[in-house]
Amino acid sequence: MANAVIVLDNGAHTAKVGLAHQDEPRVIPNCIMKAKSERRRAFIGSQIEECRDTSALFYILAFQRGYLLNWDTQKTVWDYIFSKDGIGCTLDNRNIVITEPQMNFQSVQEAMLEMLFEEYRVAGLYKTTAADLAAFNYVADSEERTTMQSLNCIIIDVGYSFTHIVPFVLGRRVQEAIRRIDVGGKALTNHMKELISYRHLNMMDESHVVNQIKEDVCFVAEDFKDTMRVHQSEAKRKQVAIDYVLPDFTTVKRGYVRIPGHPREDEEQQQMVPLCNERFTVPELLFNPSDIGIPQVGIPEAVADALQACPWQAHRELLLNILIVGGSSQFPGFLPRLKRDLRALVPDDLEVSLICPEDPVRYAWYGGREIATSPNFDEFLYTRDDYEEFGVHALQHR
Amino acid sequence: MTGRESNRIKDAEKKRVLDSAARQRRARKALEALEQDNFHDDPHADLVMSKKLPKFQESIKNCKEKKGKRKGAEYFRAKYRKNFQQLLEEEKQKPNYESAAAPAPKKPLRHFCAVCGNFSNYSCTACGTRYCRVRCLQTHQDTRCLKWTA
Repeated sequence: MANAVIVLDNGAHTAKVGLAHQDEPRVIPNCIMKAKSERRRAFIGSQIEECRDTSALFYILAFQRGYLLNWDTQKTVWDYIFSKDGIGCTLDNRNIVITEPQMNFQSVQEAMLEMLFEEYRVAGLYKTTAADLAAFNYVADSEERTTMQSLNCIIIDVGYSFTHIVPFVLGRRVQEAIRRIDVGGKALTNHMKELISYRHLNMMDESHVVNQIKEDVCFVAEDFKDTMRVHQSEAKRKQVAIDYVLPDFTTVKRGYVRIPGHPREDEEQQQMVPLCNERFTVPELLFNPSDIGIPQVGIPEAVADALQACPWQAHRELLLNILIVGGSSQFPGFLPRLKRDLRALVPDDLEVSLICPEDPVRYAWYGGREIATSPNFDEFLYTRDDYEEFGVHALQHR
Repeated sequence: MTGRESNRIKDAEKKRVLDSAARQRRARKALEALEQDNFHDDPHADLVMSKKLPKFQESIKNCKEKKGKRKGAEYFRAKYRKNFQQLLEEEKQKPNYESAAAPAPKKPLRHFCAVCGNFSNYSCTACGTRYCRVRCLQTHQDTRCLKWTA
């Protein structure tokens, strides 16, 4: 074996990429960004770390509604990733494990194959979804107690563009039972941006900053009504109300939550936004998309619905192995709330157990590494010979 | 016979009420806004980039050799330029993107005040936006109500 395999979990917001023998992947923003302060250049991927003033950052994303549609943007970012500044090696003559969204469109798949074989000259590829990689990693983590053939599990992938519920029965993805909720990190950030802009100060241009606010302060309420009551009562309001100090990109590089009584230097002169019910009504959309008028059920009901589409013999094990991956699952309180809601929805003789890995963002990548280093990796591989002989059609029958 | 009074003022005095179609259109617009990448315009849009400027790369030698084989981003943009709607229409085989969408909720909807975010029991008679108390209604009428009619 000459060349190590490259594993690329190509997410809509960040690409998780690395060589299969490395310990961990690099997380690189999968977009091109333009800053108001720096007019001479655009920032590709991790180059954004060189940018000192990230106010009013303008994003150019390769993904639209979760699918790879802007190929020139993607090519620019991939060119960067597979260069000296990125992971430091090219795709030339290497095998690659690459992820695509669930239910990917035919033409997008074709484009990806053509791009990888013709443009980047890969030797072979294994195209799969992040959920499959996560399932594979789950089996690898279980230390031989389960094998891929006997695996029954549900993967909940809370991503940037949407959330997918993907059940696996006997190691195979149950295509008819996949459920999609059109809420992900992007919708949450945009919703929060709107709330802050209407209630406090206009931050409509500040996706980047609001995304940081979201990551810093938002949480999932275990009991939504109860938390709302806390918010409304004058006495208890302090439990959830906070002030967030906004970055000014000279003294404060990154915003932070103000701690009353322990002011940092010059804190009084900084701009602040008071935040209260925004903290929990925003992530609440994952559980009730209908709150802002999206006509879909939330994650718990979608899991129950997906379960109904699976053979009943598998239900018990499916509920025992619910794995949560994806960046937007990192809100504090996400797991207990999901467990509580799900418990109320499924038959009471079945036990519910949720597993949230330590690092839900990179979890799928680790699965890709496991596949790439497994002894029968060659069987999965779709090689250049296959591509030249059969074109894209060979991939459909796999 | 029309009077000499201004039509504009006359229209403004009439109390406008949005019909349900207009309300739905607004709601859809609000949802589409959640998909936006950026709210503002490209900050570099007014810059004129000269393509003639040489780009200095370390591997300038390899560049020529590559050109023959590789097709470049232009080619891909031209070949795969379908937008999301077009892709959706092509998709015939089930299960597909549309069949995978989570079902509509069976529970009654919860309503939130558009101004402060609390639970709301009332809706604005003109545009249907929810509010929770008179103070919020006042804010709503001063700032949003029919101010950006879609």
